[in-house]
Amino acid sequence: MASVTAAGLTMREDEVTDGGRREEILSNAPRTARGFFVVPKVIE
Amino acid sequence: VSDPSLLALTLAEARDGLARKSFSARELTAAYNNAVSEIEPLNAYITPTPERALAMADATDHRLARGEALPLDGIPIAVKDLYCTKGVLTTAASHILDGFHPPYESTVTDKLWQSGAVMLGKANLDEFAMGSSNTTSWYGPVENPWRRPGDNRPLVPGGSSGGSAAAVAARAALAATGTDTGGSIRQPASFCGIVGLKPTYGRCSRWGVVAYASSLDHPGPLTRTVRDAAIMLRAMSGHDPKDSTSAPVPVPDFEAALTGDIRGLRIGIPKEYRVEGMPAEIEELWQRGIEWLRAAGAQPAEIGLPMTKYALPTYYIIAPAEASSNLARYDGVRFGLRVEGDTLGDLYELTRAAGFGAEVRRRVLIGTYVLSAGYYDAYYLKAQRVRTLIARDFVTAFEKVDCILTPTAPSAAFTIGEKTEDPIAMYLNDVFTVPANLAGVPAIAVPVGLSSDGLPLGLQIIGRAFDEETVLRVGEVVESAAQFRCSPSFAAGGGR
Repeated sequence: MASVTAAGLTMREDEVTDGGRREEILSNAPRTARGFFVVPKVIE
Repeated sequence: VSDPSLLALTLAEARDGLARKSFSARELTAAYNNAVSEIEPLNAYITPTPERALAMADATDHRLARGEALPLDGIPIAVKDLYCTKGVLTTAASHILDGFHPPYESTVTDKLWQSGAVMLGKANLDEFAMGSSNTTSWYGPVENPWRRPGDNRPLVPGGSSGGSAAAVAARAALAATGTDTGGSIRQPASFCGIVGLKPTYGRCSRWGVVAYASSLDHPGPLTRTVRDAAIMLRAMSGHDPKDSTSAPVPVPDFEAALTGDIRGLRIGIPKEYRVEGMPAEIEELWQRGIEWLRAAGAQPAEIGLPMTKYALPTYYIIAPAEASSNLARYDGVRFGLRVEGDTLGDLYELTRAAGFGAEVRRRVLIGTYVLSAGYYDAYYLKAQRVRTLIARDFVTAFEKVDCILTPTAPSAAFTIGEKTEDPIAMYLNDVFTVPANLAGVPAIAVPVGLSSDGLPLGLQIIGRAFDEETVLRVGEVVESAAQFRCSPSFAAGGGR
């Protein structure tokens, strides 16, 4: 059993209901630059 | 100094007092803001929000003046710091969420504010809700407002919703939100001598509540009376498209279900809950509960829940498995604590090692182990199958009975530091509460008496899925028969 909910998942219209929140999403990040999260370089 | 007579009111009484204009929402909230300061030694709140509370109370007074009162208008409550509150520090009592100010509001708290409730602050808890004694918090342990008479050692409030329970019991909140994954509302309610309600899975939206084990997490209320729990639950419930497991079912007027009439109701007494080593006084209290219900016209009958003995082991596989997956998101990149490293891998590892406490690390390790390729079938898949059997136990039982009466916890509150050396002894606290989480059925903890050393003990009523009404109705009958008075040794406004 993965869930006790007897009902299955419901369908909804395939449309965008959210977005355009870059500032909010970045607002808690420890380091950002030019609208991106910043992490140590990963390309060797 | 807070006004003791205001603090002594129940939620229902405060609501009626506000409607009669016996006092203003601002007066009530100011008294509670003072109470929050007064109980600071208990460490029940991580972040008090007194200014926001007064602003919300003023909005209530404007609505009351216009005759537009909302269902919870002006009721000051505490919010477990696992619920995201927009712009207000949300920590899950973990170092790893340092400085996190959610840009959104959880569905349940949003509903409470839409109903006019007033936020007093964010309540302390076990880190990521993992614990049964509120001793794993990064912000330090919470103290139970109760102490054993003649014994000055501080006691645990239970957990994980320990700050919520301590605040309500010590009269520093009229009610509080909690979450219950294995007993985290009901066990602290029992330890603090108040009411705790875990509703049906899907009744209250989990959206915006920091996830521990998603298939077991249940938001719900902690209150001083069963009626208050009914009022809170109505405001917290309802379908939420943002939570795919939220149930699209109507929300009844739970308060109207409190008729006091339980004549003819069949009450199951599960023989498997007579566990070895349970104190005789808890057994006696349970018997007394059975007699109260019989005297009120109900029909108690022994039932079997044969899978009960597998509930704890099953829980301690499924919950850590889901936790290890849910907690993967805390990596130092997008929010919270970050410990810099030379490589991205170092950054992840250093951040998680510094940010998670010992109990959280233990559960992430267990969860990762039971989900690993070589052990998935032996542990996780087996546990999922046993969970189906445990849930079936309840379905079978509810063909014969309308609800089930059990003790809430196998002991009263213990001293801070006791049981922390042995994680297994701590896990046993949840022996009576875990099955209802695995089955997703509603259950309420009602305080009914004192142990021989003067601490609160509770009884639990478990009901059918989406039948919180029967659970509440029976709970209220037990409550009025018990005539328990919550009188902790330390409370705002002078206590007893």
